[in-house]
Amino acid sequence: MKNLKRSLCLALCLILALACIPAMADGNVKIGVLVSDATSSEALAFRAYYTEYIAKAYGVEFIYSDELTDAAGEKSAIDNFIVNNCKAVISFSSFDRPAQIDQCDAAGIYNAVATGTLTDEQYDEYKDYEYYVGAIGPSMDIEFQAGYDMAAYYIDQGMTKFGMFGGGVPYYVDMHIYRAAGMLTAMVEKGGEGANYKGADNAGAIIGQIYADGGIDTGAIGNLELAAYVGGYDFNDAWFGKLSQMVGTEGIQAILTVGSGVDVLGGFISGSGVKLATVDSFTPAMQEAMDNGILDYMAGKFAASIGPIFAATLNAVNGQPIRDSEGNALALGQGYWVATSSEQFAQYCAVDSSMTDPAYTKEILDQYASSEVSYDDFVDFVSQYSFDEIVSLKK
Amino acid sequence: MKKTRLLKNLMLSLLIPCAVLLVLEAMALGKGLRLFANADSWKLFFRAVANVTLTTFALSINLDSGRFDFSLGAVSMLSATVAGTLAQQWNVGPWPMLAIAVAVAALLGLLHGGVYVLTRIPPIIVSLGMALFYEGCAFAFTGGKGVSLVTRLDIIGFSTIGHYILLTAVAVALIVLLFDYTRFGANYRALLSGQKIAVETGIHEIGNALGCYAVSGALMGVVGFISLANTGSQQMALNFGSIGVMFTAFLPMFIGGWIGRYINKRVGIMLGATSMALISLAFARFNTASSVQSIVSALLLVLFLIYLNNEFAILSRFRKKQDAK
Amino acid sequence: MGKQTIRERIPAFASILGLLALIAAYYIVGLIRDANVAYGLKAVVNQSVVVALVATGAVFIYTLGSFDISLGAATGVSALLGAMAYNATGSLPVMFLVCIGVAVAIGFINSSLASVFNLPIFVTTVAMMSVLSAFMLILIGWNGAGDTIKVKARDVRPLDNIPFKVAVLAAYIALCWFVFTLLPTGREAKFIGGNPVCAKLSGIDEKKLAIIASLISAIGIGLGAFLTIVYAPTLNKDTASSIGMDVIIAIVFGGMPVSGGPRSRILSAVVGAFSMGFLSQIMSMLNLGSGYGQMIKAAIFLLVVFIALGSQRGKLLTR
Repeated sequence: MKNLKRSLCLALCLILALACIPAMADGNVKIGVLVSDATSSEALAFRAYYTEYIAKAYGVEFIYSDELTDAAGEKSAIDNFIVNNCKAVISFSSFDRPAQIDQCDAAGIYNAVATGTLTDEQYDEYKDYEYYVGAIGPSMDIEFQAGYDMAAYYIDQGMTKFGMFGGGVPYYVDMHIYRAAGMLTAMVEKGGEGANYKGADNAGAIIGQIYADGGIDTGAIGNLELAAYVGGYDFNDAWFGKLSQMVGTEGIQAILTVGSGVDVLGGFISGSGVKLATVDSFTPAMQEAMDNGILDYMAGKFAASIGPIFAATLNAVNGQPIRDSEGNALALGQGYWVATSSEQFAQYCAVDSSMTDPAYTKEILDQYASSEVSYDDFVDFVSQYSFDEIVSLKK
Repeated sequence: MKKTRLLKNLMLSLLIPCAVLLVLEAMALGKGLRLFANADSWKLFFRAVANVTLTTFALSINLDSGRFDFSLGAVSMLSATVAGTLAQQWNVGPWPMLAIAVAVAALLGLLHGGVYVLTRIPPIIVSLGMALFYEGCAFAFTGGKGVSLVTRLDIIGFSTIGHYILLTAVAVALIVLLFDYTRFGANYRALLSGQKIAVETGIHEIGNALGCYAVSGALMGVVGFISLANTGSQQMALNFGSIGVMFTAFLPMFIGGWIGRYINKRVGIMLGATSMALISLAFARFNTASSVQSIVSALLLVLFLIYLNNEFAILSRFRKKQDAK
Repeated sequence: MGKQTIRERIPAFASILGLLALIAAYYIVGLIRDANVAYGLKAVVNQSVVVALVATGAVFIYTLGSFDISLGAATGVSALLGAMAYNATGSLPVMFLVCIGVAVAIGFINSSLASVFNLPIFVTTVAMMSVLSAFMLILIGWNGAGDTIKVKARDVRPLDNIPFKVAVLAAYIALCWFVFTLLPTGREAKFIGGNPVCAKLSGIDEKKLAIIASLISAIGIGLGAFLTIVYAPTLNKDTASSIGMDVIIAIVFGGMPVSGGPRSRILSAVVGAFSMGFLSQIMSMLNLGSGYGQMIKAAIFLLVVFIALGSQRGKLLTR
């Protein structure tokens, strides 16, 4: 037993030593990355872009947090980044963004928000903080529009009976509530005269209603019908039963999902003839689902969409933060790519999943990760996020 | 006389599932619904019976011996991940995939048992370490992407009522055979009732424990396969995200223990699982919110345990009242 | 005789040796990785203090041979209600009292259910965990401000410092040590954990002790909830959710047997919680991928427990 204990201790030492070797070899700029999702295809695509492309291209080291579940976790993770001498934090986690900015500011390291934005009140408070780089990502308005466009796409085709998967709506996840509200608003606007959702007939009222209920009720919306709704991520027999029931609801034509549509509904949709629309990422697995008719509509953030926030962060670390004429930090919106056919998806996927020639290559980013870039140039660059615009940038 | 006792035992065994069915059916009628409305309802029911029965077997095999196992969910996830990935790469159908899942899960169980007997760390703690380890393995194995088989209609098509019944029946038969009619089972029961005496009489405790972990693992392999074939995708979990699976097995285990007084304990567990499956079906049919489901399940567990642990007092009070009348 | 005594004492120090080994590894890895180790020590205290508080109280429950898996959810509910009370009154003392009061109420329900109805504590706490987790979501819905319940950061910032947190921890450890070591309660609890039948025959009231253990543990939960708000005043449905598991790990890391009994020690929880803090820092500095990182963390966890348990291994398989 003593020998065993010695061997195991030796193994522990070896593990630690082996783990340290690559770390000793580099002396790169370290950037901490806060993540509240480490396993979704979107999160993995973002991570791959940073760790497999950007890290090599720019000689930076990304230190990822564990999968965070609360604001205390965010604070601990930023502490760990400070211990690791990170020069900046790029945050994909939104439990308490003001606290993140305050903590980074106090420690003298830069903070940037990726794939999201601050609220107007928060931006007013933090826009002139020295160490706040800014935010680039879909605002709540863009999330709302993504949901609206998805529902409108099917209503315009003449469909009238829908199902909805609400994902994080029961947990009051803002992004999901806004997407769901967008879908309902489209139904209200296109549902004929007098159409309303529980008495609410405009976007603000619908958003308020969802927040008040923590869920979405089924029923007629004018001449359209939301025939089935499932929310949450329970992953138990009853929840899978609800999903299966939703697909089997008589006469249902399309299921609109605020996210993870293929992962949670793919197995039930196969062969049912019901159209599935979701917000996700352009991965080969989704491509396969689209090719096989399981997925019909997808709005996705492309993996390299987080390239500009990296460029802005690198500029700040290099002492050249990008600021507007009044010295305020960035607050830029960035929308989705939408694919409604296999061919379109294949085009997007080819660019998006490439680790040698991604949507935003080093050559493109170099033009903006430089001391010469102006605020207006940068804003112009970020605003060109559609697939065609990026392809023309690459040329 | 014997026939009467047999009939009485059978009736008592079916008491809980039948009572649950009646209550839920009445509630459904009150809401203007039918519990078993269509083929989907039946499918949900039989899938839940299979899942809960197998998970409860996997939990109780070790828990009855005082070995708590938090790693059941991680074994299920990792075995399904490996089997799904290989099925995709080798383009094999559902049966070979099921065989791979069971084999991998049995090996994972064996490894878990190996670490336990080698280090003699308390089983609950080993299970925490192994849960973390297996979650990490699954993540590393797929680069975090998990498995997506949504386009594999042959595998998704496996999710039929017939297959669920077949898997449940085979699992129950094998478990009854192994634990009630073999030397392994006799040794298991001896160790259960008196560890020290059993070991001193020459029973090989380590071999028995390893066997239990392997069997428990294999059962979770089937659960992982059922889940993957049902949804077509296996998502990853980290930082103990997989342990929730285990908690679903407590109530059926206790119900099974009670029914086990009147019929074979393993069959009792299956009947307990059947009761739970009916409740799951009702949650789905009534579109019950997740938080309400949690509270109802917890209350049922506590109420049943209160009865179970105070049965004598409750029954004697009931009898006194009867006598007084 | 003397040699035997030393050998007997080694297990008591094994967990401290484990902690020292982790501190040494922390400094070595920090040196190699050019890390800010001084700041790291502050981070370890910040990250470990809540687990240390909850785990120290939980030692009473574990000593009895019981097991509570609802500690994290109880901390979460106490923190959410504490934050709601603060937002309603603007008073930190009220927030503090609500945190403690809610935790004590939950502890009382747990122990009463177990004592009055003879329920196994572990299963009662499994049920309680489900109820409390669901209740957290309901509270957030009632609060009606999105997916969080917030206390203004500037209101609690004066308390968010190491001396205050260490003082709270030290005071609670002192209280627990006093009760556990100098009052009959501790000895009786160890007796029950070691040999429940003998303890019962000796006239020790198991039910009364279970209630006392739950109430002392609840004070730790309440303090943990209060410091959770002080550390990160934006709370959500998953606040403190990992504490239940962390407490089990901390107690075992600290070298205490999960079966309780005479070898239970108050300091095990603190040693274990800080061992976890250092391990977490080491893992962060090594910057391994999620999957491989977790595999190595699991291996180190088992190894440290293996060392910390010392000679507790018997001839029969542990149950």
